[in-house]
Order: sequence, then C-alpha cells, then structure tokens
Amino acid sequence: MEWPLNSDREEIERLIAQVAMGDRAAFETLYDRVSAKLFGVSLRVLDTRAAAEDAMQDTFVKIWNNADRYQANGLSPMTWLITIARNTAIDRLRATRKGHQDIDAPGLELAAPGPNPEQSAVAASEATRLTGCLDGLEADRGAAIRGAYLEGASYADLAERFNVPLNTMRTWLRRGLMSLRECMSI
Amino acid sequence: MSDHPTMPPEDDDMLAAEVALGLVEGEARDAARARMLQDRAFARRVADWQERFVAMTDDIAPVNAPARSRKALMARLFPARRAPLMQRLWVWQGISFAALATVAFLAVPLLQEPTEPAPGEVYATRMAAEDSALELLAVMDMSRGDIALRRVSGAAPEGRVLELWAILPERAPISLGVLPDGDVSRVALPADLAAEAAQITLAITDEPPGGAPGGQATGSVMAIGAVAEL
Repeated sequence: MEWPLNSDREEIERLIAQVAMGDRAAFETLYDRVSAKLFGVSLRVLDTRAAAEDAMQDTFVKIWNNADRYQANGLSPMTWLITIARNTAIDRLRATRKGHQDIDAPGLELAAPGPNPEQSAVAASEATRLTGCLDGLEADRGAAIRGAYLEGASYADLAERFNVPLNTMRTWLRRGLMSLRECMSI
Repeated sequence: MSDHPTMPPEDDDMLAAEVALGLVEGEARDAARARMLQDRAFARRVADWQERFVAMTDDIAPVNAPARSRKALMARLFPARRAPLMQRLWVWQGISFAALATVAFLAVPLLQEPTEPAPGEVYATRMAAEDSALELLAVMDMSRGDIALRRVSGAAPEGRVLELWAILPERAPISLGVLPDGDVSRVALPADLAAEAAQITLAITDEPPGGAPGGQATGSVMAIGAVAEL
C-alpha cells in the first residue's frame, strides 16, 4: 500500500485539523493532495464521469463540514477521506435503485464519546494484507465482499447474483468476513 | 441502550463489518448507528473494519479531476461575498469629495436593483478633463452588460453631440454611441468587451450631430476616465 506514508499521514492530519478550524487555504491544499485518489474511488464505484464528479464534490463538502469530527473517529486520515468518498459514491449509486437508503459516511458518525478517542487497532501492515486475504477466500465469498464494498451491493443483490437464498448469502458472507479477519490478523 | 439484545462479541464484530460495508438496512441500520454513538467498543469495531476494507481501494489509480470540478466545489462552498452595490459606491476611491456628496442620489436612479444580493463585477469611473466643464459618473454593471452614466455638470457645445468611446490597449477606440439628451443614460456594453472590462478607459468626445463620421472620433476629448473595479 503506497499510502499513507508517515509524513503524508501527518501532513494530511494537520491539513484536516486546519480545515476543522475553517482554514480555506488548507482545504484547497488538502483538495490538491487527495482529490485524485478520491476521484479514482468515485469513478470506480460510479459508471459515469459526471456522476463521479458530482459525488466527489459532495464528498469534499462533507469533508469541509465534518473535519472537526475527524479527531474523534479514530480512523487514519486517508481511511476517513476514502471512506467518505466511497460511501458518498455508493449512496449516489443506490439513489438510482428502488428502496434506497443512505449509508451516509459512517466515518462521520464515529463520535467516540469521551475525552480519549481510541485509534483504530488495525495496523497499516494488517490492512495491507487484505487483498491477499480476499484472494485467499473461496472465490465467491471474496467477490461478494468486494461487491458490497466497491459496488454497494445489498444482501438481496448478492443473493440474486450468486443465486442463493438471502439467509444463505448472509451466512456465507459472514463466514467470509471471519476468515478474512483471521487471515489479516495473522 | 437496552433495546438491542446483548450479542456475543463475535456477532458484534460481524455486525460491525456489515455496517462498514453498508449491508445493514432498515431499522437494524438505525439501531446500529445509534449504538455507534453510545458504544465506543462497537464504534471502534466499525472503524477497524473500515480500516481493513479501505485496502480494497489501494489498487485504484488516482485520476485527476477536471479543473472545473475544483472551481465548482470552491464556488459552492465559498460563494463570493460581494458587498452590495451601494456599499461599494460609498468606498469608491476614484471619486471626488464633491461628487461623493451627490453619489447617493446619483446612484439610486442609476442602479435600480439595490436589493440585488450579489451583483456581478462592477466597474466605475468619474469622467472629466481639463479645459472642460463636462463631468460624468459611469458605472459598468457586468451582470447587466451595460454602462450607466450620470452627468454631474457640463454639456455638449452648441450644435454638437456627445459620443462615448471605449478605449482599450492596442485597439482603435470603439464607439459606444451618441449619448441621448438628459442627465441619466444607459448604454449597452458590447459583449465582446466584457472580457477586457477591467482595462477599459471611457472617453467622451464632441461630434457633429449623428455621431462621429466613419466611426472615428473627430472632436476633442471632453471627459475621460479609466474604470476601476468597485
């Protein structure tokens, strides 16, 4: 995983802290630093460039409005930013489907009450193992997790895609997640 | 929180993963969200999964977004807060003290949208010249694409008319037409001059009735002023 290098991480954390204080120049710098990655993520989720551009604008509006909550959520800065971009793009994608529900940006909701927000216990080295671990899963389970994360597929979508009953799909995917966690923490 | 059953940690962690993936829907999703706000351990499980899943984006190549995207975003978040027109007139530096005293009543009929919240660019100048009693105030309102003129003093010499010119660097003066009689007038600003509005110098010459023959100024410059943005 290329990012975040430590210096990058510190710089992006500092920029987010400045944005939280309403610093526009810092916001523009942050945009210039990370927008290409976030746009790449938006494009991956959404079909059209226009939709991806709109989603990325919404992403940065959320970043501007919620930067003051970043400190409390315990995520690494790039995870926070990419998670907002991913969730915003998926919400946009799902908005075109029936029975749509926002997943919003869960990273924004991690309000971690109390004076001592905890950092995520997941080390970067652990996270980098994800791809290998996903590939090590039974093919369908890996594909289901990727489908949920990168395409916003719901359990119903996945059940249809893999032609299994909903409950079977849920059991399957949970087993996949357990194997994944086990593989990653080794 | 007692409205959700106590779950074994294993199930909690699976629920956290499903929340991070966006697989939890309906009431279960609302309950999970509420729980994240109250239950730090659970919130951290979700964060842990987000931290894991984000690696799925590692091989997504960065793509530069078009410049218009950045521009649109900044305009959306930070709309230019221009002062209302009247306020800008009050701080207009290029205007003489005497003219300033009358600017309020001059401006009101000139600028008929005092309630307009965010007018576009506005340029103004006081036009005068030595050896001439003619003095005008000109306000170029780019959102309307016209120039409002108010004569403060002076008049065309007997048997002559006043013609307005836009002067731009390295271009022949462009006629904006003969000014009608009366103290107040509006003249359209040709659209192709809008891009260079900030560089315009306005001038008034006296010309034979009907205007400068052949579109070339023949009279003397009776009033001139370079515009400045308000």
